[in-house]
Amino acid sequence: MKLPLENLKQEVFSIRDETTDSSYGRAPKDRSIEERINYGFILLDKPAGIRSKTAAYIAKKIMAVFAVKKIGYSGTLEN
Amino acid sequence: MPLAINNATKVLPVLLFGGKEYIALMHLHKEIDEQLLRNTFNKFIGKITQLPPVRSHVKRQYRQREIYYSDILEINGRDVLFKVGVESGTYIRKLIHDMGEELEVGAHMSELRRTKVSTLSERDSLVTLQDLDDAVYFYKEENDGRLLDRCLGSIESAIDFLPKIFVSDTAVDPICHGSPLAVPGAVKLTEFEKDETVAIMTLKGEIIALGKAVLSADEIKTAKKGVAIKTDSVIMNVGTYPPYKKIK
Repeated sequence: MKLPLENLKQEVFSIRDETTDSSYGRAPKDRSIEERINYGFILLDKPAGIRSKTAAYIAKKIMAVFAVKKIGYSGTLEN
Repeated sequence: MPLAINNATKVLPVLLFGGKEYIALMHLHKEIDEQLLRNTFNKFIGKITQLPPVRSHVKRQYRQREIYYSDILEINGRDVLFKVGVESGTYIRKLIHDMGEELEVGAHMSELRRTKVSTLSERDSLVTLQDLDDAVYFYKEENDGRLLDRCLGSIESAIDFLPKIFVSDTAVDPICHGSPLAVPGAVKLTEFEKDETVAIMTLKGEIIALGKAVLSADEIKTAKKGVAIKTDSVIMNVGTYPPYKKIK
């Protein structure tokens, strides 16, 4: 059973051949830990009984050593 | 529950496109025939209309939502455990209540757990707050990043379901400043229609920004100039790629 967008295969069409300069930017798999945090997601197993907001707040406190400025979360269990 | 850090927070709104999957426990107020129950579950697949509950964050008016699939996992007396895949904005508590009304015995929701948001699923590496705390400790105190590495997913994998357009190195920095993407900057692309939300990517596969398609993918393939994608929210930091003039 799949949600509509799950395992969607998208074909890539090339308009032209072009290479990218490796002296700047970095492919997602080659990122350093700090970069991975900055562009990162955590799938949190939220403990039962606390609010999503509280869990996000605790996670932010834990990550504070990396000077994490923002942590956002998607969805509440209101539904 | 997906948590997004720093730059990744900007893609959170698009996660709502994809629907949700829940495992819920329904408690029937009277025992009923199993076949009748199964038939009723099947009736609540596809388009349904529901009124949001009294205590909710949205305006209380009937709205249509789609139930993609619904599957009974276990029946134990009056308790029914089931898995359901729904469009974003469907109230499961209400769905259970409405099924109870349909069955004429009444029912309420006694437990709920979300198992998928969009393309992120519980099967991917779920992290507890304790795991995260340990991982940060090992990295900071013992310089061992392996645990932390396992806790972190990339923003690119979270938005994998979006259509994409890959651009020249020279086009990257202007987009980081919020400029739209012009047709000549596009190198590769997937299928999309006009007005769809598209992820603008580098040739290395990093996300730069999210934008709205001004032209469809087919139009971009044949056009020579003009705006292809209007930039909505920028994710990459300015300065990751050099300014336009410095690349020869």
